[in-house]
Amino acid sequence: MGTSTNGKVNDFSSDMEVDAFRRLFPLRFHERHLAESIRPDGRPLGKARDTTLVLGAVASANGSALAKIGCTTMLAAIKMEVMAPTVEAPDEGCIAIEFHMPPICSPLIRPGRPAEIAPVISKQLSDTILRQEIICHYLELSLVSGKAAWMAYLDIYCLDADGALFDAALLSAVAAFSHLQVPVVSLNDDGRIVLISEDNIAAMKEKEPVNKEKRKLKLDSVPFSLTCVLHKNHILADPTSEEESIMETFLTVVLDSSSFQLVSLNKPGGPGLAHTSAIQECVELAKLRVKEVQKIMNEATSDMEQD
Amino acid sequence: MEYVNPEGLRLDGRRPMEMRQLHAEIGVVSKADGSAVFEMGNTKVIAAVYGPREVQNRSRQMNDQALVRCEYNMANFSTGDRMRKPKGDRRSTEISLVIRQTMEACILTHLMPRSQIDIFVQVLQADGGTRSACINAATLALADAGIPMRDLVTSCSAGFLNGTPLLDLNYVEDSAGGPDVTVGILPKLDKVTLLQMDAKLAMDTFENVTQLATEGCKAVATDIREILLEHTKQLEFRRGL
Repeated sequence: MGTSTNGKVNDFSSDMEVDAFRRLFPLRFHERHLAESIRPDGRPLGKARDTTLVLGAVASANGSALAKIGCTTMLAAIKMEVMAPTVEAPDEGCIAIEFHMPPICSPLIRPGRPAEIAPVISKQLSDTILRQEIICHYLELSLVSGKAAWMAYLDIYCLDADGALFDAALLSAVAAFSHLQVPVVSLNDDGRIVLISEDNIAAMKEKEPVNKEKRKLKLDSVPFSLTCVLHKNHILADPTSEEESIMETFLTVVLDSSSFQLVSLNKPGGPGLAHTSAIQECVELAKLRVKEVQKIMNEATSDMEQD
Repeated sequence: MEYVNPEGLRLDGRRPMEMRQLHAEIGVVSKADGSAVFEMGNTKVIAAVYGPREVQNRSRQMNDQALVRCEYNMANFSTGDRMRKPKGDRRSTEISLVIRQTMEACILTHLMPRSQIDIFVQVLQADGGTRSACINAATLALADAGIPMRDLVTSCSAGFLNGTPLLDLNYVEDSAGGPDVTVGILPKLDKVTLLQMDAKLAMDTFENVTQLATEGCKAVATDIREILLEHTKQLEFRRGL
């Protein structure tokens, strides 16, 4: 569309203001930048936006995290409840994941009509986190075999949707799990599990706590992801919502942070076609990104422990 | 249960006429025209305003004024026990309506005909006084969006327990079963736009409690004005004025 007239007299870029050109001819605007191997916000093609992570954002939840990639903001919180395990799996607990996109996050969402992409991301997150117990074993969530087990509810709220939603959601979910502290409970006389609050130390001495102290879950492997957008021969890492809406071909790569093995690869159609070389390039970019994110997560964890 | 101990301190150590700590930030949602986070103690609320923009449902378009829409949502993890259905339940619908009518009264809707202003409020942490926090956050978000208003709208709640009027109830005090009066005022014009109360209260006590809540609103208004001035100074600084 725009390649033949790139830089020729036929485009109006010299006549009108940059903002107007950006709104009226978004594809040409971006292609002009791609020709110089740069993007409108000044990033090189393979670089992701600034990422920040804050653990413990929600004081009332058992584990929580706020993740920000550029302007995209996700708040994840985990609440634990005691439930009776199923007959088929008396030693296992359960994790339920819900992803919400409230109308504050984007002008395109109308109240009463949920965003199209919300259930897609919800399913992707469930598949990545729950399948094959990637984050933690369900056995760890058991309390009394056959009678009581933990049910962890993970709720992720998107507070600002500016592209790369899956990356930010996965990062906030993983961070919330790493911040999670399983509360102390004890078995009541009638056989019911009761939560012991921290100030009730006297009660703790009377009843035998089922788990001795607040503990953190042992995380098996920690997945981090990178979403790239493919356009002609260019690969753009970590797209903003503007870039996502113009160039609609995504490729999401999820890697395990310790062994850099592939957890999931997702290219859901789209007008752009990719050679295997492009896919390999994306995986390489994802490896670099995983190293970055691992550093950020370690910093956030050590900040938390200092407090 | 004792909500005010003999020394005159409440459960969280406040005096009866003392408000919780306020904290606010403007411009937190990049995609919104105006947004704000408002905290009153442990209650944390985020508001985003989209508008004036084209009406999405043509049949509801009004030719002489703007359409104001409001939605109130609570996050699943905002309350102590996880909520099953935070949206669409009766309380959320009622509060959405209350916030809409309160803000509609002060927005100069006749200046923006055939357009729509959306106010979305999301409660991230609920510890009593969510209604008031939402209205205060919505005021800041509307101011950030540059929507013309008659005046700021500020809101505060007050109650009556153990024979003392208490300002700005938290969740424990709210669920104690005593009366809970929520007041919303336009501080400069000194007019009341919202007044809600539940449970029984004698007439003279009611006047005391309402007076207390109104003064709480005025204190919130002073804080909000300071926050807006600070924000404007930062904008000026960034633009190099």
